Amino acid sequence: MSERDPDAELLERIGRQDPAAVRSLVSRKLPRLLALATRMLGDRMEAEDVAQEVFVRIWKQASRWREGEAKFDTWVHRVALNLCYDRLRGRREDPHDEMPEEIDPTALPEAGLEARAQDQRVRDALAALPPRQREALVLNYYQEMSNIDAAALMGITVDALESLLARARRNLRAQLAGSGLSKDKS
Amino acid sequence: MTPERFHQIVEAYGAEPRRWPQQDRAAAQAWAETHREQADALLAQAAGVDAWLAADKVAPPGAALFELVLDAAPGRRTAPRRRLWWSGAAIAGVGLMGGVAGAFAVSFFVLTGAAQQLPPVHESSYLTSSFGGSSADWSDE
Repeated sequence: MSERDPDAELLERIGRQDPAAVRSLVSRKLPRLLALATRMLGDRMEAEDVAQEVFVRIWKQASRWREGEAKFDTWVHRVALNLCYDRLRGRREDPHDEMPEEIDPTALPEAGLEARAQDQRVRDALAALPPRQREALVLNYYQEMSNIDAAALMGITVDALESLLARARRNLRAQLAGSGLSKDKS
Repeated sequence: MTPERFHQIVEAYGAEPRRWPQQDRAAAQAWAETHREQADALLAQAAGVDAWLAADKVAPPGAALFELVLDAAPGRRTAPRRRLWWSGAAIAGVGLMGGVAGAFAVSFFVLTGAAQQLPPVHESSYLTSSFGGSSADWSDE
């Protein structure tokens, strides 16, 4: 690996108990991790729990972190995703809770809340995607990871990642068109 | 760049060239320039999903969450210990003051003879228990 891990210098300072470095790392990673977990879980409170748990693990590992094949950011994302999947597995008893199939705009109180309804439709549509499609889309689009990094994180090839991304977008487009039914479940 | 590859790129990564794979970006943009009509149809379709995705915003972490995360960091563990040190000193101080007060009270009683005004230590009523010495006779009941 020719490029240095962008978090390496910060981690070295954390290893020397530098409080400014600790704050910098939290400022840099917490919003990203919270956004990742919120979109994977569709639940803010659970996402905050996951973000805190990831940092507990970061604090245990930070001083011992050595640059190697994986970037620190990739490792952090893997930890966060594992914690998200643990929680998603816990929801299997009630699959409707994880994957809302239909959105009823008439259930919203006022037509003037159209913008908020649109936000909710996006969030519901993301939640309705099969988890691996959602993971691919969240990593590549929202977390802005390169296709190579996202594929490595997911343990798949770039071709497989592109296939997941294309299917995720087709599903979203179907929901955007109002059908919400022509979902590709793989 | 083939039409099929351009289609794959837009289907997977959307309409914004900055999101296309770095190794394909220049070639894909060049292909779009020379095949405007075909490219625009694909890009317009993808742009709708892009706009939809962009509408989803996650609120940034609040100050409380930020502090909770910081409190768990290794360097922050010194703060509770400092508080513990002060509370230990306070307990020791209160104990010391109690000892001084007790010593003063004992010396006061000894010097003034005040202890003699207390009831005799072995006064009978202090020795009576429910197991003996009771004058009550329940045999008549």
